[in-house]
Amino acid sequence: MISLILPDPHLPYRREFIKKRDFLYLGALMLLPVIWPDSLFLMVLAGIYAILSLGLSLFLGYAGQISLGHAAFFGIGAYTTAILTTRYGVPPLGAFWASAVAAAAFAYLIGKPILKLKGYFLALATLGFGEIFLVIVRESRSLTGGVSGIFGVPWFSLAGFTFDTYLKQYYLVWGVLIGLVLFAKNLVRSKMGRALLAVAASEDAAASVGINVVRVKVGVFVISAAFAGFAGSLFAGVMSTASPGAFGLGLSVLIVMMVIMGGMGTLYGPIFSAVFLTWLTDVLGGYQEYSLPIFGVILILLLIFFPDGVGTRLNARLIYLISYWGRKRRRERVER
Amino acid sequence: MSLLAVDKISKSYDGVLALNRVSLAVRQGTIKGLIGPNGAGKTTLCHLISGLERPTSGTISFGEVDITGKEPYEIAALGVGRTFQALQTWGNMTVVENILAGMHTRLPGDFFSCGLWLPWIHKGEKGALPEAKEILESLGLLGRWKWPASQLSFGQQKMLELGRALAMQPKLLLLDEPAAGLTPAEVKKLSEKVCQLREKGITILVVEHHLGMVMEIADEVAVLHNGELIAEGTPEAVKKDPRVIKAYLKGGGVDA
Repeated sequence: MISLILPDPHLPYRREFIKKRDFLYLGALMLLPVIWPDSLFLMVLAGIYAILSLGLSLFLGYAGQISLGHAAFFGIGAYTTAILTTRYGVPPLGAFWASAVAAAAFAYLIGKPILKLKGYFLALATLGFGEIFLVIVRESRSLTGGVSGIFGVPWFSLAGFTFDTYLKQYYLVWGVLIGLVLFAKNLVRSKMGRALLAVAASEDAAASVGINVVRVKVGVFVISAAFAGFAGSLFAGVMSTASPGAFGLGLSVLIVMMVIMGGMGTLYGPIFSAVFLTWLTDVLGGYQEYSLPIFGVILILLLIFFPDGVGTRLNARLIYLISYWGRKRRRERVER
Repeated sequence: MSLLAVDKISKSYDGVLALNRVSLAVRQGTIKGLIGPNGAGKTTLCHLISGLERPTSGTISFGEVDITGKEPYEIAALGVGRTFQALQTWGNMTVVENILAGMHTRLPGDFFSCGLWLPWIHKGEKGALPEAKEILESLGLLGRWKWPASQLSFGQQKMLELGRALAMQPKLLLLDEPAAGLTPAEVKKLSEKVCQLREKGITILVVEHHLGMVMEIADEVAVLHNGELIAEGTPEAVKKDPRVIKAYLKGGGVDA
């Protein structure tokens, strides 16, 4: 019965860091272009959003803090890459790292003052940050190209190899995602992961065992902004543009939605729901003006039936079923 | 030698005086009981010592260090562990993770080295687990080590909180109403555990509303009433103090 209520197994005592199901996911990822080549562009976009929601999952799902301005860090990453590659001729790989550093630096600067806020106030402050970012981008035309943005960002390339087709970009984006998943997995099974969960559950108790609550919050904010910076850099490289329309409040809310739907305190859940929501947005795009109401109804239904997020519930249920079958088979074997 | 010295400390909330020039000393290696009727300011004093609130005036020193106005995590890092009156276990983690999180300051690493799982992180985590299990075993919780902490019973969660404080290897342990809501059998187990801790050399300050347990285990007892210290001494002497009897009768019944 316990496996039904256990949260996603992010337990530190697990010896196998990589489990069988990870190979299953990896295999599915590798084979997807062969099985369903038409989905590639969507999967590139989904991978980018998955990086975003993975970063926010650490901040929102683990540390329990809300951010409604995460699209701004995505934007900072995209603009850093766009400006560095088109104006200064920086190679894409350098711009890729610089984007994460830039997003992290901004997060550090604004995180120090605003992370003293909690709940709704933090939501409002981050919302404000997102809007201020948009205004600055639109108005500083000489730097960011104003409303129309920056065009002609070169494809991402690595040591002479250019990622110029959807297939190559697909492997690039999901490869980066795998690297970041490994980082995040290590983080959540270590003492810092426990500190994040402790801060989410009770800040007083966290402080009482010597966890520096402010530093943990700022740290995880910076890390999740760096993830968003990586995602933004890939976005600029894949779309070859950076314009303010892509980094608005709509995206911020969508990422939060991905994390909540995927399940708080999980890493795979937000990735799955990023893929699902990207696909849903695309499918509903065909219904034009009806797409938003349909989208809303689907989200409401999901939240009614899976209030803890789809990922958690499904995972728990699957784990339960698998362990039940396992026990049953073992019992039968013993009886025989 | 006193490990904790509270010197003429006062705390007021918008003019309401919760504590009025209270002085208190806890000697190294002893159990000190702090009792008093509801609203006497016991929990406030506990919060002031652990840094969750700041005193209006007065000083608190821990060993040689002045800890007045320090942040809670700094005070904890010096070796002051505490439990809470209202349960503050982390229900989003498993039982063993609660204990491991208690070891936070003793394990190496920051965000970056943890994310990259550098060798010393691996070593620290590997060594921490058997130790956490040992603590759970001594509290009788080992059988539930994989459970989510929120699924434990109230009494077990109280024990878990104690275990979490012990995981940081504190020099001083503040127990804020540890017996509240426990069954008599659980209270007895807790008393035994606390006495064991004193033998291990941990100094303990027990804040309690119930007299029974404190009178049994404490070496010294101090009595707070309406924010003032009205008596201090051995349990026997305090029990007979007419002011203590009066305060408890007026405050609503002796619970001994």
